[in-house]
Amino acid sequence: MRSLLEVRDIKKTYRMGKVLVPALRGVSFDVKAGEFLTIFGPSGSGKSTLLHLMGCLDRPDEGEIFIEGTNVLKLSDDKLAELRLTKIGFVFQFFNLLPRMTAVQNVELPLTIAGVSEREAKEKAKEMLRLVGLEARLNHKPFELSGGEQQRVAIARALINDPKIVLADEPTGNLDTKTGWEIVQLMKKLNEEKGQTFIVVTHDPQIAETAHRIVHLKDGLIEEIKEVSKRKTP
Amino acid sequence: MKISKLLSIAWGNLKQRKLRTSLTTLGVVIGIATIIAIASLGEGFRGEIRQRMEQGFELDVLIIFPGSFTAGLAEGFNQTDVENIKNIDNVSLVTPLITMPLTKRMELRNSNTGKKLGAFTVGAVNFTEMRKILPLRFNVTRGKFPEQNEDQMIVPGYKASIVNETIIADVGDNVSLVTSTYTINFTVSGILAKGGTSGITNFDYWAFISIENALDMPFFKGKTDPYQIILVKVSESKYSETVAEEIENLFPPYSITVFVPTALMRQVDNILNLVQMFLMAIGSISLLVAGVGIMNIMTVAVMERTREIGILKAIGAKSRTVLGMFLAEALLIGVMGGFMGMFTGYGISYGLAQVLSNFIQPQRPLDAPAPEPQRMEITPVFSPQWAIIAFAFAITICIIFGLYPARKAAKLNPVEALRYE
Repeated sequence: MRSLLEVRDIKKTYRMGKVLVPALRGVSFDVKAGEFLTIFGPSGSGKSTLLHLMGCLDRPDEGEIFIEGTNVLKLSDDKLAELRLTKIGFVFQFFNLLPRMTAVQNVELPLTIAGVSEREAKEKAKEMLRLVGLEARLNHKPFELSGGEQQRVAIARALINDPKIVLADEPTGNLDTKTGWEIVQLMKKLNEEKGQTFIVVTHDPQIAETAHRIVHLKDGLIEEIKEVSKRKTP
Repeated sequence: MKISKLLSIAWGNLKQRKLRTSLTTLGVVIGIATIIAIASLGEGFRGEIRQRMEQGFELDVLIIFPGSFTAGLAEGFNQTDVENIKNIDNVSLVTPLITMPLTKRMELRNSNTGKKLGAFTVGAVNFTEMRKILPLRFNVTRGKFPEQNEDQMIVPGYKASIVNETIIADVGDNVSLVTSTYTINFTVSGILAKGGTSGITNFDYWAFISIENALDMPFFKGKTDPYQIILVKVSESKYSETVAEEIENLFPPYSITVFVPTALMRQVDNILNLVQMFLMAIGSISLLVAGVGIMNIMTVAVMERTREIGILKAIGAKSRTVLGMFLAEALLIGVMGGFMGMFTGYGISYGLAQVLSNFIQPQRPLDAPAPEPQRMEITPVFSPQWAIIAFAFAITICIIFGLYPARKAAKLNPVEALRYE
């Protein structure tokens, strides 16, 4: 059986003014369905770039990416948007909620984009917020919520479309340690209960150790892929 | 994404920036208001001019003069000409007119007091036919028109009978037409009612005698073409121009001039139309400026919301969804601006109509003393046709100018957009 996600010899170079910065220099690995994977490495190692490429937000210069056996780089931009809408959920370091919308509105946004009726979207969004423990904060706007609560809203939004893959870019990077652990705990729980695949980028070795496997990235190359024998529990 | 949802999100975004939205909308309001104001005011102005011209000229009456600019003066008409014109289709009445300008050598005086009448011209007509041709204008205010059997009667115009507020000739008075060689006596049968203040058939300064009496005068005896004017009434004013053409065909080229009031009116209408279009074109420029304003503000909005666009794209919004969101904002501004602009424009046109009505005095003949002040009433006309055109124009402008920033937003690379600070 093929893996859920296959990354094949990916290269990506960014242009910063006149300087070319190689972010990824040939990266290959597989992700199995239901796996909790962390991508670990120092800043500048290409972690976020790799996550963006796996999330179909950008295209690599070279290499191939397969999601459920489909070579996604052959798809049009519109098809990629559809793929992001139906199969991928994003969680960001800076939460990236729409500031003018309430928690419920933020969570139902992917459903709105998909054209789901307003009533149904609202119901599902409330249910999802309950699942992440925010039933008391449904109609709060982002600035009325704490960092941890905002990240929970973001996780609810990432999960609302029941995606196969959830990609998290330093989800604890903007939170204090305790809250950060709570978020990791939540993601682990969701991974176990709903079987969704989580790929989490982090530079925190403690958090990296909570995964099934760790992909060590350094200077745009994979240093090692480590099976975690004894997963750290948050 | 559903269009209703797109619009409600766009509306939310606009509400978020109330001042900015209202200022941008104001631009559209000004543009549409200008166009609507000019359109409805122009329409009202044209209506007023048309009405005045209808009062000034009987639209179903053609006036035929001998001669033309091209060929110069000609002799005149005779009874055969009159009969020939009568045979044309859609002609209901034809009557000839003889005019005698009053000069130092030919005067009209009250026989008893010797006082000169205020008349400039003596017109010789068939009274019965004249009353049929100009039923509204050719009426007596005192006395009556001469009967068939009455001879040597005269009907002075209103201003011909009164000079300096003194009645010179009243019903029953004797009036003499005095020349160096002969004097002809008439009796005043009636006084013509006051005419309007404009138009060429204003008879206030005329005095009328019967055409038979004129033809008996030494000057006209033996003349083959004594008539100087022929008045033709057509059955309906819409036939005026075809009848005029047929009349012209009866005579050698350029030997007569047919004055067609409907043609003149059409000309005036065309000119007014042109002026209105020109003003509206200027008004449209203000709408273009508003369009640039929309483009400007939306470009800024796209920059400010770059990160938001990145988020939307990351969670699966297609480029055209983002495009739609921004276009919906432009559309809403167009709809709001267009709507408010229509009401404002109509309001402005009412206000302006009041001001203009006080400023514009009606025109009067140069030789006539100042008439009693008469207001020109301009009533703005709200034409649904113009409202629809202006509304559609507003929306089109907004969409066109919103397209560039919206496309810019739609084309943003999501990764770069997310990184945008």
